[in-house]
Amino acid sequence: MTSGADRAERRLAAVLLAPALAVLAGVTLYPLAQALGLSLERRVPVFGIDEFVGLRHYAFLLRDPAFANALRVTAVFTVASVALEVVLGVAAALALATMRRWRAAGIGLLLLPWCLPGVVTARIFEWLYEPTGWLGIPGRALPALIVADVWRTTPFLALFAYARLISIPPAIGEAAAVDGAGRLATLRAITLPLLAPVLLTAALFRTLDALRAFDLMYVLTGGGPAATTETLTLYAYRHLFQTLQLGLGAAAAVLVLVIVALVAWAHVHALDATEART
Amino acid sequence: MVARLGGLALVVLLFAGCGGGGAPPGVELVFRHSRMPGQDDPLPRLLRGFEREHPGVRVTHEPLPWTADVQHQFYVINLEGRAAGFDVLMVDVIWTAEFARAGWLLDLTDRWPAAERGEHFEATVATAMLDGRVWAVPWVMNVGLLYYRSDLLDASGFAPPRSYEELAHQARVVMERAADRRLGGFVWQGRQYEGLVVNVLEELWARGVELVATNGRVLVDLDGAAAALGFRRRLLTDGISPSLVTGADEEQTRREFGAGRAVFLRNWPYARRLFERPTSAVRGRVGVTALPGGGALGGAHLAINRATHHPELAWQLVRFLTSDRAQLAIAEAVGLHPTKPKLLEPALRSIFAAARPRPITPWYQTLSATMQPAFSAAITGVTPPRDALATARLQLEYFLQGP
Repeated sequence: MTSGADRAERRLAAVLLAPALAVLAGVTLYPLAQALGLSLERRVPVFGIDEFVGLRHYAFLLRDPAFANALRVTAVFTVASVALEVVLGVAAALALATMRRWRAAGIGLLLLPWCLPGVVTARIFEWLYEPTGWLGIPGRALPALIVADVWRTTPFLALFAYARLISIPPAIGEAAAVDGAGRLATLRAITLPLLAPVLLTAALFRTLDALRAFDLMYVLTGGGPAATTETLTLYAYRHLFQTLQLGLGAAAAVLVLVIVALVAWAHVHALDATEART
Repeated sequence: MVARLGGLALVVLLFAGCGGGGAPPGVELVFRHSRMPGQDDPLPRLLRGFEREHPGVRVTHEPLPWTADVQHQFYVINLEGRAAGFDVLMVDVIWTAEFARAGWLLDLTDRWPAAERGEHFEATVATAMLDGRVWAVPWVMNVGLLYYRSDLLDASGFAPPRSYEELAHQARVVMERAADRRLGGFVWQGRQYEGLVVNVLEELWARGVELVATNGRVLVDLDGAAAALGFRRRLLTDGISPSLVTGADEEQTRREFGAGRAVFLRNWPYARRLFERPTSAVRGRVGVTALPGGGALGGAHLAINRATHHPELAWQLVRFLTSDRAQLAIAEAVGLHPTKPKLLEPALRSIFAAARPRPITPWYQTLSATMQPAFSAAITGVTPPRDALATARLQLEYFLQGP
């Protein structure tokens, strides 16, 4: 093929891709630009208030103790729930992989919590927690929500890990056994490294979800007690829908987006690094 | 208040008579409201009655979403678009000023004779007004009440308390004398939500402290408000209020008191019926009195969408639904109380007359959503009351600045 034909082909590809790219830009960039523009305004549509305030909302967020609190709550929730989900998910996957009978039933049971809508899960836990009073006690409410989230999403991690586990050729394990590796050594030196890329991908999904956690808190605690379960998205919601401060809510939402993008970027780099090693 | 309605409307109602078949040609009015609690919804009957009086008119009624938050959102989205999707709407007493300022409601000042306004409790009419104009007509009314175990107070020779300090003292004495160690003193709504704001307001009023001053300034008396919150915190640390309070809403506290596990309860009037059911553990042993300083006013008004194509007919429907006959029918069927003293059972009249509205301001939602975490932080001991309130005041100043 000549380079001229190559160039023509590339031009054709660009033309063919253009509509799809335009649609993508339309559905992602346009709302994003709108949100950015909104975050620079003091906008209370209900009362016809609409004025340009520049970066004042961002300045307020940086000094608002409630926003700092929401950052802290979101960080704790994300790290704790994702870490627990990875550990429990791997354990569940290992257990499944060693099951000889009832494996299908095991997978079915495992998936059950994952299939429930978030609000239903929240109602179940509301009922479970009511006699304990934990949801009204600062210091207990957030752990209680983390437990609910772990219950709900461990199956997701487990399924990812299980799918990778059964694709590891048994010969590798057998070779390790011949070389005298015990079960723990096999797990550490062989199984976990092979699982790592999959786990990182799954953990990335979960982390992005957890950073935007909303439904459990919204239903179970409304962010309370003492805002100890108010995540960033709940903070943004409170301003968008309750205090009627659309501009401020948009500014908070933009910051959530920035944080999520940074975390995703860091994850992808970590993923590249592990893949380069294996 | 709609949260309260939702709280007790645990039974999902299917509107059997809704819509009807073979509608006559002519005008259709749409009425939006929250679901009626209980199982005997009087609205279909009432609306059929209205249709009989107005031949050619059909009234469709559509229940609102389940929770107060989502109802508010529904209205904001639909009314902001200036659409005439519904003509008559039920508005919570705390939303009326906001909707009026937003320009969504029809001004009813000239339609509603001043003499008739005087038939309703003054406090509830006050919440239907803004800037001297009338924007809605009171429909059903709610007031915070103090429930007490009459058997336990009698045994200790106490009369119902007149102040929260007296209440705390009585609770302590009764608890010490009780054989049951699990008996709690005073249960109230301490979860971080609108209910907490209501409870704190009542505590403030009993101390003569205002959340919003007449000039619109918020939390002028920071120390007075901090003292009120400090008192609520001490109820919890002294064990007079059980720890469940900081996570409890109306229904949780109602169940606690209803199971015989508390001496005092702050709640809305709906609980009275439930305590006197044959299966109730506290039947015949519950007294009701006014809260010290007066109970908060709840309830709902009927208003007219400014974008309606049928203002006169909509007004006729509002008049019909707020008439003596309709208010009595609603009270009888589902236990929501009328807004006129003459229709109310005499025992409740003075308590209802002492009701106080929450701050009447278009910014009430902003105010409440900002105070909720602050009040919660103070009563749970996470933040000293004064600091929590000072932070909330700074936030509010930022939200309310400008025009």
